[in-house]
Amino acid sequence: MRNIAILAMTGWQENLRRRFYLLSLAFAGVFLYMSLILGVLAVEQENRVLLDFGLGFIELMGLAGALYGATTIVLREMETKTVYLVLTRPVGRGEYILGRFLGLMLSVLASMALMSAFHLCVLWAKGWRGPEPYAAAFLGAYLKVLIMAALTTFLAIFSSSALTAGVISGVAWTLGHFLPEIRFLIIHGTSRAVIVPVFVLSYIVPDLQLFNLRDRLAAISLAAPEAGLAWWLGYAALYTAVWLALAWGLLRRKEF
Amino acid sequence: MTLRRWEGSHERDLPVVHLGRGERPPFRDGGPLPTVNAPVLEFRSVTKTYSRSHLGRTTHSRGIVDLTWEVPEGESFGLLGLNGSGKTTTFKLALGLLRPTSGEVRILGRSPADAVALAAVGFLPELPYFYPFLTPCEALRFYGRLSGLREEELPDRIARTLDLVGLTEHGSRRMGEFSKGMVQRVGLAQAVLHDPRLIILDEPVSGLDPLAVKDFRELLGELRGRGKTLIVSSHSISELEKICDRVGILKEGRLARSIAHQEWEAAAEGLEGLFVETVR
Repeated sequence: MRNIAILAMTGWQENLRRRFYLLSLAFAGVFLYMSLILGVLAVEQENRVLLDFGLGFIELMGLAGALYGATTIVLREMETKTVYLVLTRPVGRGEYILGRFLGLMLSVLASMALMSAFHLCVLWAKGWRGPEPYAAAFLGAYLKVLIMAALTTFLAIFSSSALTAGVISGVAWTLGHFLPEIRFLIIHGTSRAVIVPVFVLSYIVPDLQLFNLRDRLAAISLAAPEAGLAWWLGYAALYTAVWLALAWGLLRRKEF
Repeated sequence: MTLRRWEGSHERDLPVVHLGRGERPPFRDGGPLPTVNAPVLEFRSVTKTYSRSHLGRTTHSRGIVDLTWEVPEGESFGLLGLNGSGKTTTFKLALGLLRPTSGEVRILGRSPADAVALAAVGFLPELPYFYPFLTPCEALRFYGRLSGLREEELPDRIARTLDLVGLTEHGSRRMGEFSKGMVQRVGLAQAVLHDPRLIILDEPVSGLDPLAVKDFRELLGELRGRGKTLIVSSHSISELEKICDRVGILKEGRLARSIAHQEWEAAAEGLEGLFVETVR
């Protein structure tokens, strides 16, 4: 546990000092400012456009940071041999992967929270006072990013290529938002050649549509919202744990 | 910038021991490993073959072949060999970064994957890399904690280790500004910070200027005087001649010859002559 905490905290500090994260925050500032212009164009729906554009942008920036970090967790450290200095100490490979992953996700959380704070300031200045469930939307976006980072970590170790892992993750991200349509295809499809691979895919690709929590909260009236939250958190935790466990399995066998 | 003598009580007040050639150092009392009489490092008929698959075809290449070798506690052992002879493979096997295809590796009587064994080992890889935005103090704090050092002993350990490698004045500078020699010193600092019994150094003087090489040699002599077991690989025969009690020559993955200090001192052309004679 101590090693995981050390790796996570150091990883967090390292990430915060990397230019990439500073750049992501700078870009966030620029794009959120652009959303003001878009908001003006939307005339009567200004706050709605500001809210949707901002949240979407924060999610995408968080995703970009997480994918960049996840593809480089092990690959960059292998390339530079810094991994030797850690794994030749009394540090288990499971501790290493989990510590590095938690460090990454802490950094992503910090950068997304900072962008959200800026976003909320802009919304507040524009007179927005809710009652949109902003926190639920933020949580949903973060859970999506968490799942994708775990999947990307596995893919990076499996393929030993940051590009391959990034491309496959991008495809999985896109498919993950169309899982209801994929399921429709499975039920109504006629060709087995299409149905079988799509069926397998539907169990590999995470259902990211589930985490558009703001839409779901608006669309359904939950009798017990906390039960829904537990389900979403459980799904994200399980999916993340499975991909990290697979990544650990690969790393245990890996030779450096 | 010069290396300093090790002052104070880095090894829990163990006195500095200066050994004559061939003398063995006293063992530490109350050490964490009950294997003081076992060789520090032991290879038993170890073979490592690399297998690579590409487009359905698997190719095999030799790493090391049937290597049987042991290093007793307190010895300073040098590994010599041409490029691709298996020096780095040998180190990686000793440290658990590679697994042998056959045979067995024991480090302090345990498996290289064993956390207790790894806690007693310090490793300097060839051309170590540290994140440029970290300072030596931050990097050493990180590695010290991972090596199991307690929080309260870290500041003192870091200060004395930086002093040892001659980086006290640069402890708070970002390593992005460092020369190759300074990075190498940080590499050595992280390898000795936790006071390991066995120190493995892969090409420690590679790319260093002559003054830095001299400083490094003095530091290794100091560690040797403290009874540490050193295993050093280098292309510099003259350096190994000065540092080591014994040198092993690897040729095409096999330990072709093991030469004691007295042997190369008695030879007309020294260690270089024996090396050339062995690898040709």
